[in-house]
Order: sequence, then C-alpha cells, then structure tokens
Amino acid sequence: MRRVNRNRPPHIRRKNKAEGIVDGLSEAADRPLGCSPAETVVLIQEALGSSPDIHIRKMANDTFVISYIDSLIDPQLLSELMGNLESMLEEGEEVRSTERFADSISAGSVKVASTGRDMLTGMLSGAAVVLVDGVEGARVVSISGGSRRSVEEPSSQTVIRGPKEGFTEDISTNLSLLRKRLRTPDLRFENRVIGTYTQTQVVVAYIRGIAQTSVVEEVLKRLDAIDTDSILESGYIEEFIQDRAFTPFPTILNTERPDTVAGSLLDGQVSILIDGTPFALICPVTFFKFFLSSEDYYQRYDISSFLRNIRLFSFLVAMLLPSLYIAVTTFHPEMLPTTMLISVAAQREGTPLPALLEGMLMEITFEVIREAGVRMPRVVGPAISIVGALVLGQAAVQAGLVSAVMVIIVSFTAIASFVIPTFAMSAAVRLIRFGLMFLAGTFGLYGILSGVIPLLMHLVSLQSFGVPYFLPVAPLNWSNIKDVFIRMPWPRMNKRPDFISLHNQVRQGSGPEEGQSEP
Amino acid sequence: MNFAKSRLPEFIASFALFEVGSTTLFQIGAEAKQDAWLVMLVAALAGLLLLLMHLFIHRLDPKRDLYELCLTYFGKVAGMFFGSIFAAYFAYEASRNLRDLGELASYVLLNRTPIGIIILIAALVIANSVRYGAKVVFLSCLVMIPFIIVSYFVLISMIAGVGLIHFENMLPGMENGVLPVLKNVPDVIAFPFGQTVLFLVFFPMIHQQKNMRRAVLVTYGLTAIFLILVNQMNVLVLGPKLAETVTFPLLQSVQLIELVEVFERMDILFVLVLFIGLGTKLVLFYIGAVAGGSRITGTPYKKWVIPFGIAIFGMSFISPNFTHHLWVGIDVVLKWYPIIQIGLPVILMILMLVRKNKRGSDVAS
Repeated sequence: MRRVNRNRPPHIRRKNKAEGIVDGLSEAADRPLGCSPAETVVLIQEALGSSPDIHIRKMANDTFVISYIDSLIDPQLLSELMGNLESMLEEGEEVRSTERFADSISAGSVKVASTGRDMLTGMLSGAAVVLVDGVEGARVVSISGGSRRSVEEPSSQTVIRGPKEGFTEDISTNLSLLRKRLRTPDLRFENRVIGTYTQTQVVVAYIRGIAQTSVVEEVLKRLDAIDTDSILESGYIEEFIQDRAFTPFPTILNTERPDTVAGSLLDGQVSILIDGTPFALICPVTFFKFFLSSEDYYQRYDISSFLRNIRLFSFLVAMLLPSLYIAVTTFHPEMLPTTMLISVAAQREGTPLPALLEGMLMEITFEVIREAGVRMPRVVGPAISIVGALVLGQAAVQAGLVSAVMVIIVSFTAIASFVIPTFAMSAAVRLIRFGLMFLAGTFGLYGILSGVIPLLMHLVSLQSFGVPYFLPVAPLNWSNIKDVFIRMPWPRMNKRPDFISLHNQVRQGSGPEEGQSEP
Repeated sequence: MNFAKSRLPEFIASFALFEVGSTTLFQIGAEAKQDAWLVMLVAALAGLLLLLMHLFIHRLDPKRDLYELCLTYFGKVAGMFFGSIFAAYFAYEASRNLRDLGELASYVLLNRTPIGIIILIAALVIANSVRYGAKVVFLSCLVMIPFIIVSYFVLISMIAGVGLIHFENMLPGMENGVLPVLKNVPDVIAFPFGQTVLFLVFFPMIHQQKNMRRAVLVTYGLTAIFLILVNQMNVLVLGPKLAETVTFPLLQSVQLIELVEVFERMDILFVLVLFIGLGTKLVLFYIGAVAGGSRITGTPYKKWVIPFGIAIFGMSFISPNFTHHLWVGIDVVLKWYPIIQIGLPVILMILMLVRKNKRGSDVAS
C-alpha cells in the first residue's frame, strides 16, 4: 500500500494532512486574517464559490458578519447564536473584542481561527464563522447539524439478547454511544483527519492502562502514514493499515455494535471509528475473534460455548464440504457405506456432468442468487426466492441436470457460511472453497490436504498488529483459550486476554468459590 | 510478549510429530517377528542416550546450532565439510520421506495418477512450508497435533473395540533367543530413534530454556511408548508373518475395522493422518538442510529453499521402484547412518569438552 502512495503526484502528497481543505486554495488563505470583515468575506466567496447553501449575513452595519453553510448546521442553534450576538450588541463594545465573547455564546463551542484555511475548515465541518469588525481573526462557532439517521438496530449483526443499538453514520453519536457504556476517565479518543478531499474524521478509541501503548502508537503511526484523497468507509482505512495486503483472511474486525466495541476495548483492543460509516474497526484481532458474537457474553455460558463450536464447525463445513463430496465420489467411492454408495451412484447415473463441474455449477449459481439477493430492489424479493428454490433446486434435479445430493451439499454449505458471525470471514471462506473444490476434483483427498496445509501455514504466519493471528492455539496460551472454544462463566473469567491487553490484568476479584484456586 | 522466538509447546508438538512421523508406516524390527516390541524398547533406550547426548551438546553451547557448532569446534574447513555432510544427510532423509509419501498416496489414494505428479505436488506444498521458516512450521504442528492424537486414539480404540487384537500373536516370546532381537537393534536405532540429531539445529531456536530438557525427554518417552504400542499392534492384529511382509502394515490393520457398516474404509481417512506425520518430518529435515546451506555459506535462508527443493525432489527418484527404495533404505543406507547420527556428534561433543576444559584451565592459570 505504501508503494502506491509513493507514486502519487507530488502536489497531492504535499497537501495531505489536516491543512489542505481544497486543492488550489489561493495563497491568501494561508495568511493571517485581518481586521476587516469585508476582506474576509471576499476570501470566503472566492474559496467556496457561489453555492446556494453558503450564506453570509450581516448584522448591525457590518459589526458582525456571520457566514455558514446551511446544509451543515443546525437551524435552531443558528437562531440561538443570532440571539446571543444581538444581546451582545446591546451590552456594548468591550464584550466583542475580549475573551468574554466565547463566554457569551451559548449556541456552541467557540474557537478562534487565525488563517483563512482554519476558518474554511471550520465552516466545512459545520461551524458558523463570526467576523467582528475591528477584531483580528475569525470566531468559529460549532453549531453543526444537518441530516443524520437516528440510532437503530444494527442490520448486519443481530442478536436475540443484548442491546439493540447500532452505530450510525455520525461519529459524534457513535462516540456518545461508547462514552455511555464506558464511563471511565481512561477511555481515550485520539482524533485524526484523513483524506485531502473528504477531510474525514477518524477517531482511535482505547482505554488507557488496558490497551497496549505500543499497539495504540502503531495504529496512530499507520493512520498518519495514510496519504489519500478520500476515506468514505472504514474499508478504506482497513486496507491501508492491515498487516498483510495479500491474504483472504481479515486481520481487522469490523462491527456496527457499540457493545462489541466496548467489550473489545475492555479486552485491551483498539477501535477505530470513522465518520460517515456505522462500521467501526477493531484491532488487533485473532482468527477466533471472528467466530464470537457479542451475544455469547449475554447468554448462558453453556449454550454460548456450544454455539461457538457450532460456528467453528460451520466454518470447516463451509470451506470443505463440497470438496470432500467431490473427492469422495470421484476418487474414493469405497469410503462410503455400500447402501449409501448405491443410492449416490444411482443418482449420479442420470447426471451428465462430472462431480467437479456439477459442484462448480451449483456453487456459482448459488453465489449469483446470493448476490442478486443483496443487490436487487426489495420488492422483487419473492421472485428471486421462487426462482432460486424451485427452478434452480427442484427443477434442476428433476430435469437430471444435477443430482439431489449435490443440491443438499451446496445448500448446507451455503447455510453454514451464514453462521459465521462476521461477514469478512465468511467471504474469505467463499473464495477458498472454489480453490479446494478444484483441487479435490483433480487429486481427491490428497488435493484437499495439499490445499489445506498451505492455508494453515498462511494462517499461522499471519499477524495482526504484532499479535499472532492464531493466538490462543498457536502459540498456545491456556489463559486465553478459556474464551475461545468455550466461554467460561463470568465469575471465572478473572483476567483479560494475555498479549492483547497491557499486562495480564485482573478483570475482577475472584469469585467466592474461586478464591483458593487462583494464585 | 516476545513472539520472535519459538516457545516450548510448539516445539514439543513438532518434536512429537517428528518422532511419530513415518515410523508408524512401516513395521519396525520386523525380522524379530513377535519380539519387535523388545527390539524397539532396547533401541528406544539407546535413542534416549543419544538424545541425552544431543541435549548435553546443546547445553555446552546453547547459543549455537549444529552447523555453527561444527564451524566453531571442527575449524573452518573441517566444519564446512562435516556441516555439508549433515546437510546432505538431512536432505537425503527428506527425499526418502518424500518418496514414501508419494508411494503411500499412489498406493492408497491415487492409483492412476503418475507418481511424479504426486511427488511434485507434495514437494511444492512442503517447499512452501519451508519458505515460512521453522517458527511457523512449529506453530502449525501445534495446531495439527490435537487432530493427530485424537485420530490415533480413535483408531486404536476401534481396533481394540472391534476385537481384532489377538494376544496369542505375542507368543512365544524370544523364540530363537536374544540374538535375533539384538541383531535388529542397530537398524532400529538408526531409524527412527537416531534421527533426533536433527534437533541440534532447532534447539537454539527455543525461547524458554528452563524446562526444555525435561519436556523433550518426557515427549520422547511418551512417543517411544506410543510407537512401540502401535508397532506391536500390527503384530497382534495381523500376526508376525503378515506384519513383516505387508508393505504398509498399519493401513492393513486399519482396513480390517468394520463397524456398523459405516466405518469401513478407515484407511483412506487415516492415510491423511500419516501424511501429516510424514510431511512434518519431511519439512523439518528439509529445514535442517536449508539452514545448513545458509549457515555454512553465510547466505540468506530463503536462497536455499529452491535449490534444496530441487535436490530433494530429484533424489526421491533415485530408486526405480518402491521395493528398491525400501531395500536401499533398510539394507544400504541404514548401515551408514550411525556414522552421522552417532559418530559425528560424539566427536563434536569430545571436541567441545576438550575446548571447554582447556579454556577452563586457561582461565584458572
């Protein structure tokens, strides 16, 4: 990723960090602002053009000039600001120029911008600029508003039991959702602005004293190294900062659940929230984290443990089942019990394609249906399910195009891939599946093994921000394993995960019956 | 917190997988018939002595691996020569394992695929693993070993549960006296127990040195007992005559399992377990050879992966057929192995001790 950046034209690279709002902004913007509002108004008009949403209002013979972009501000706060300014006019001259200005404004926080660039940045992020006649610089009053979605139930990661709040596109809402869950002074937010054109606010959240400082520093370092003109979604950030670009497996987790983020922060992970998207990133993560749902911690521990193993099993099924079927029917039919062999063979009698092609055909068909399901307008949904279920399933079997067993295998594989709680991981499985099917179709079980072993090597060699991807299993760590294949009851999870948190800190006092066994 | 070095659990896992490796594939001490377990027991004890010596060498100079030890204590020229012998030996062992793996695959799984292609695929997979280095290989062993343990456990309990074991096959014990038993012991030391010399390359890579000795010895003991058990199980199931003559006796035993008409051809699944053992051994030998190439010449590790890969791939075709391959393995090279497995390390140890005493007396004076 860094290599691509180096090839960028130099004029864009120069203007990366927070400074440059608009490329080609005149030199005048970098000069300090003068005392005359009229000059500054000219500067604003030159820089922003004559868009209909840019407003410049004058009060009391140019004593105050207010400028804002009305699509970005809250009209109520604006009228409050106007009220503040009017009462200030009544009070007299000395109020405007002194520091009491900031105290007299109740509409929003006040900052002083000394250069045109700072002022424009403020305006573009939803502040009103107040220019006072005879006073240097501009006052930037934050009254940001504009349309935003209310907090709703997350659509991609649903739970039966647990909070129903999901992140929204507005970062301040998201930060408040986190603050509400973690009322500790140690919850820290580090702010960055990335993207020459988008000026996207990116916030790194962590709990001081639990998160490893080296990881926080590394995250900030990698964020600072990003040199791009736009960040529209957390996926951009994810690809820029991940450890290895060429891997099918995600090494950064994304979630739209504030409770998941809060839990991860408490485990010592670092979260990255990006303005404009409900998906927050969590790092460092291990492979097994992708099989956990936040619900695991809200439900009873026994059923949670069972479900976790079901998910890992589904992962294997989604990856291996079609290739195992192809390998066994093509190369090793003797493995099947005789009665089953006869029924499978009888079904395959009528089908024209070899198992590999049949499987590939059905898998690709399924992927097409699935993609159609995501992209199509909601109203045509029933049509797809009829075509998918009846035409491509039932009818294809009856027409002798594919065998019924293959339909069962493909359907079960598909369902199994939906069990994986994180979409990124199930996407990885979908891709790997095709490769393994091809190997199975050419070399049978031997082919599958020769595909799985390199995959394992790759998984074990991956790292996420210095933490081995396969952590509690390889390298082995017994205290972390407590929260992987099983979930211990809460009174027994006394420690935070090793290696991820700063020290193996105690999470809670040991329970009454635990007192003796813990050192 | 430091992930740069390998830690003990993954090392132990790969040591165990290495020891099991391809051993269960063949009948060890077959000429001793029903007394194979005695042969193995004696050989395992002798192997234990060898392992103790390796650990002792490691303790004398814990920072250097086998090749650096050679270069340091034999002198530069002789060290390079002996180091090359070790590297060549490891590469040859790897090539033998590669051939075993290929033959096994073509025997059980892919009857109609040319063995050259099977071996080529295996070589590619293995070379890819070697490319990652020892650390990643150790870690992946740690992931695989639970599956291996469970598989062998299920298998042994199935064989026992179905009632295939006939204890009368053990009898008569020492039918022809002690001599045939003792005559077989040297071969069994050379394969599998003497191969631990390879681990002189890996010992310095381990982070946690404290209880390494004990852990290695315990693992060695457990795997040796396990190997004796599995080996003797073949005799108990097939009888001493059949166990001696069949190419892959364990697979033969497994094929006899018939349970509720579902678990019939277990050998096909079980062969995958054998592949993992064989593959681990192969990868570790390969890494040993590559590490040698890089240490002796002082060039980067990765440069040697492909040359050794080609050499190992080529050497696996030395024998025209599997029978010849087995004959070479048992009757030719096995007689030369002790020089490398025992002779060279003993000389090395003596040189190290001499040097140490000399330095000790220098310091004293």
